[in-house]
Amino acid sequence: MNVTLNWLKNYIDFELSASELADRLTMLGIEVESVKHPGAELEGVVVGCVNTIKPHPNADKLVLCQVDIGKTEELQIVCGAPNVREGMHAPVATIGATLPIGLTIKRAKLRGETSHGMLCSEKELALSEDAAGLMELSTDIPVGTSLPTALGLDDTVFELEITPNRPDCLSLIGVAREIRAETGNPLKLPHVDFNEDETDIREITSVTIEAPDLCPRYAARVIRGVKVGQSPAWLQQRLESVGIGVINNIVDITNFVLMEYGQPLHAFDCHKLAENRIIVRRATAGENITTLDEMDRELTSDMLVIADAEKPVALAGVMGGYDSEITETTSDVLLESAYFNPSSIRATAKALGMSTEASYRFERGADPGIVLAALNRAAQLITELAGGSTCKGIVDVYPGQQPLTEIQLRPERVNFVLGTEIETVTMVEILKRLGFDVETSGRGQRVTVPTFRSDITREIDLIEEIARVYGYDNIPTTLPKGDIPVPAPNPSAAVRKCIKHSLLAAGMMEAINYSFCDPNCFDKIRLTADDPRREVLKLQNPLSPEMSGLRTTLLPSLLENAQHNRNHQIDTIALFEIGNVFIRKGAEKEPERVTGILAGQVGEGVYSNPYREPDFYDIKGLVERILEVCGIVDYTLEKTDAPTFHPGRNAAVLSNNKRIGIFGEAHPEVLENYDLPYKAYLFDFDMEALTDAAIFAKCFEPISVYPKVERDLAIVVDQAVLSDMPTELIYKTGGELVESVRLFDVYEGEQVPEGKKSLAYAITYHSATETLTDKAVNALHSKVVKHLNQELGAELRM
Amino acid sequence: MKTELHAIQAEALAALKDVKTPDMLESLRITYFGRRGKLTDVMKGMGKLSKAERPEVGKLANEVRTTLTAAFEETTHTLHRQQQEQQLEREAVDITLPGRKPAYGKAHPVMQILERIEAIFRQMGFEIVTGPDVETEYYNFDALNTPADHPARDLHDTFYLTDGHLLRTHTSPVQIRAMENQQPPVRIIVPGKCYRVDYDVSHTPMFHQVEGLLVDTHATFSELKGILTAFARQMFGDQTQMRFRPHFFPFTEPSAEVDISCTVCQGNGCRSCGGSGWIEILGAGAVDPAVFEAVNYDPGEVTGFAFGMGVERIANLQFRIPDIRTFYENDLRFLRQF
Repeated sequence: MNVTLNWLKNYIDFELSASELADRLTMLGIEVESVKHPGAELEGVVVGCVNTIKPHPNADKLVLCQVDIGKTEELQIVCGAPNVREGMHAPVATIGATLPIGLTIKRAKLRGETSHGMLCSEKELALSEDAAGLMELSTDIPVGTSLPTALGLDDTVFELEITPNRPDCLSLIGVAREIRAETGNPLKLPHVDFNEDETDIREITSVTIEAPDLCPRYAARVIRGVKVGQSPAWLQQRLESVGIGVINNIVDITNFVLMEYGQPLHAFDCHKLAENRIIVRRATAGENITTLDEMDRELTSDMLVIADAEKPVALAGVMGGYDSEITETTSDVLLESAYFNPSSIRATAKALGMSTEASYRFERGADPGIVLAALNRAAQLITELAGGSTCKGIVDVYPGQQPLTEIQLRPERVNFVLGTEIETVTMVEILKRLGFDVETSGRGQRVTVPTFRSDITREIDLIEEIARVYGYDNIPTTLPKGDIPVPAPNPSAAVRKCIKHSLLAAGMMEAINYSFCDPNCFDKIRLTADDPRREVLKLQNPLSPEMSGLRTTLLPSLLENAQHNRNHQIDTIALFEIGNVFIRKGAEKEPERVTGILAGQVGEGVYSNPYREPDFYDIKGLVERILEVCGIVDYTLEKTDAPTFHPGRNAAVLSNNKRIGIFGEAHPEVLENYDLPYKAYLFDFDMEALTDAAIFAKCFEPISVYPKVERDLAIVVDQAVLSDMPTELIYKTGGELVESVRLFDVYEGEQVPEGKKSLAYAITYHSATETLTDKAVNALHSKVVKHLNQELGAELRM
Repeated sequence: MKTELHAIQAEALAALKDVKTPDMLESLRITYFGRRGKLTDVMKGMGKLSKAERPEVGKLANEVRTTLTAAFEETTHTLHRQQQEQQLEREAVDITLPGRKPAYGKAHPVMQILERIEAIFRQMGFEIVTGPDVETEYYNFDALNTPADHPARDLHDTFYLTDGHLLRTHTSPVQIRAMENQQPPVRIIVPGKCYRVDYDVSHTPMFHQVEGLLVDTHATFSELKGILTAFARQMFGDQTQMRFRPHFFPFTEPSAEVDISCTVCQGNGCRSCGGSGWIEILGAGAVDPAVFEAVNYDPGEVTGFAFGMGVERIANLQFRIPDIRTFYENDLRFLRQF
């Protein structure tokens, strides 16, 4: 909401500058989002009167004007505007002024004649697009007046952010009340005084409230014989200064009072109300109304309408009806001032997708106590500005009158909650300045809440009021004195940290993707039709179809990341993400996964570290590292038929016979689906399973002081023999003297028979208790060779 | 014989000075110390000397041998050093050739900031707690004193699921879940993803928040100021100024928005802070009694405070990324910058 400095000063005196006021309001909780000086750009532009016009001796299209700007001497100004004429008042940009369009005015010679300034069009002053001629100003404005003053622009406009709990601040008087709290200066409320005529309003109209739950109060006045027309300049300026468009004097007055008091009013053309009467009722289902914006709206039975004897004439608290609006022919006006149930207005506005100045205030909570004051103020202004006479009396139906809220305030509680030592008298003073009545009652204070503060219902609400006026800056800054609770152990956080650090150390970059997914992405990763990951939770209101589901796997987004990078010519792709997925089964479960992709090239592409393509063993190495840092040693691998992967190049990791993850080369079709011109390698693990399998407990193993003995062993086996079968057999046969078995070469080809392969192992024999003799090692090594031969058909390769 | 020994010593020492290679040294060694070497010959002749001469000559012979042995040794060392120096010279590398850098990945910039925030609060005794992204209206709104027709709900453009759940709009629901599960004292922070229907240069539909909650028998607003001041000084530097402005949140009262002095202009006013010198970083306040009632805490017995901050916003105070949607494109040229 916008307010201006000058307008505010109508309701309270204060000595604060614009920036001081902005600062104080902000520190009271009314955030000033901007401070603007609309007239500042027009400095040096004044109102001038063109006294005489002479032809320019050297130019047909130019004339010489003698212009009075209130100084002793007239200025000669050269002008070429078609509408310039003697006696007209127009803006004069004086020497030294810089116009909003960037032009700085200098003394100039135009075709030999000196010009001491410039007569301006609206466009030259950036006031409108009108460049046809000079801006015409009212001759009522004295010459020499600065143009910003003449146009009401020498003001400061504050854009305020009013929080939803403070509807009372959605008005000039409301903001003035806050300034009163800050300064202690009294309010200057408008003096409302006007004459009523002899006709009693009850002879003309009546108000019936059939839905008192939704309309606790409805008041009306009738003003007859008005002349609908333009509002006077001051009123137009006021409304325009805060961004409200002008319509006609009657509507402008209701908007003016809305801004002044925060009370939405509505003016009906009295003659367009069937039987001239008002019924406040729920709409009947299927009933229609055309609102002021000329939209036809279908109503439901929970919406409140203002009706005449036949039909709805306004959508209560939201917008008036088109058929009963004020027009140029209106002579009699029925003026409505009411208080509506906030929830009802909110529901109606929301259902119809409408938000108006009125609904915005009613749904936050208007002030039932201001209904009559606002009504009288509007009647006064209409009488003054639109003529007409006001009928005697007010129809005021008030079935929902509530007693004022009273709250017991304990000053010691205030200080306890805030951590302050504020004196009780200070608290009382603050509350009184805010408009509360305060009386000492027992050991505390009895506080009566004014009707405009519907947000104050509890002691804590008063504590906040005291705190914000006292000043948050004046509340001390201390550290908590309470006990520090002992945190519960969090094994999954420890596992996450270990895995993340190990992946970062391995050169993988961390990605974060949206939790949303395209429900069609599963075809791209070739999931089978019955894959449970296809069961996505769907959004009612997605941003786009591609973001309409919640992800069940991190693979598609990482593949998209690879595609994005590939499309931007980045081919060293090593990304991982640790994040939750959303599984529909059972209670709201959001298992966390760690998923990675390796594609394109690894290395730096430099002399010392050339690029190379990653392969299966790169992704396997990453997986082995993850398992290692989690202390998971007892695991097995098995090939799977997971459709996302190359059928011959993938493996599931099993721990305690449970699958905890999968890794391998992406299926060529998946690569095609993501436009990847090279192979990609993926891993995808369940964090909870990793956490369950992780073993962080470590135990010291004695370090042998005796020398170790290394023996190499090259064997030829069938190609079907997997490399870890000999490894396991060596450990098994060698027993505890075998410290490690390292496969250092795999070879197929020349010198190895068809269908066979050669595997070369380095075996380290080591004893914790003695120096191994050659003899002992030879015996053991022979035993190993023998078993390899017997159980795997391995032949020693010479 | 004595003369002979003196001559051998002088001759050998002179010869050593000309030795350039290990081979020359070896042949010289043989010349003097070999089986037929000059010194060896002299030593062999000792037997022919008289008993009276023997001790004196013997002593001299020993001295000569010791001197020469030492001189040979020294020459050996010198030769070795020279040789090594030559080798090192040959081995010189082009130090401008690129190094073989170990691969090194980087945490996502939002995570880097989140981890810093977590670390600061952990030091102050806060435990890290998390909760689900898919929430119910109850936890996201109702229990936080934001009933269905509350205008504050307008400020949250909520994503709803077709099954009636919603995506949490803030991490505050975890306050409720945490208090339902434990008795005071509570001192937690809640990092996590949140969602709002918003997509422009300064909004992403998914973003991260860190929520904080402290509940005790005597937690005051002044302590809230203390904790957040301690946080801001560590996060943004110990010269950071703070401003607590009254604000409104349904689930705290009194409520505040917290500004820090602009990290770009140090509070003088610049474009980053819109000229005000202040930058809003978080919302906070004392826990509203209605929230305590929702979790069956007695508001007469306990008080508390809560705060919440947007991680992307704090990250961007430092990184100044013009379009924060860039955070979630996972462009490697972007990720490598942080």
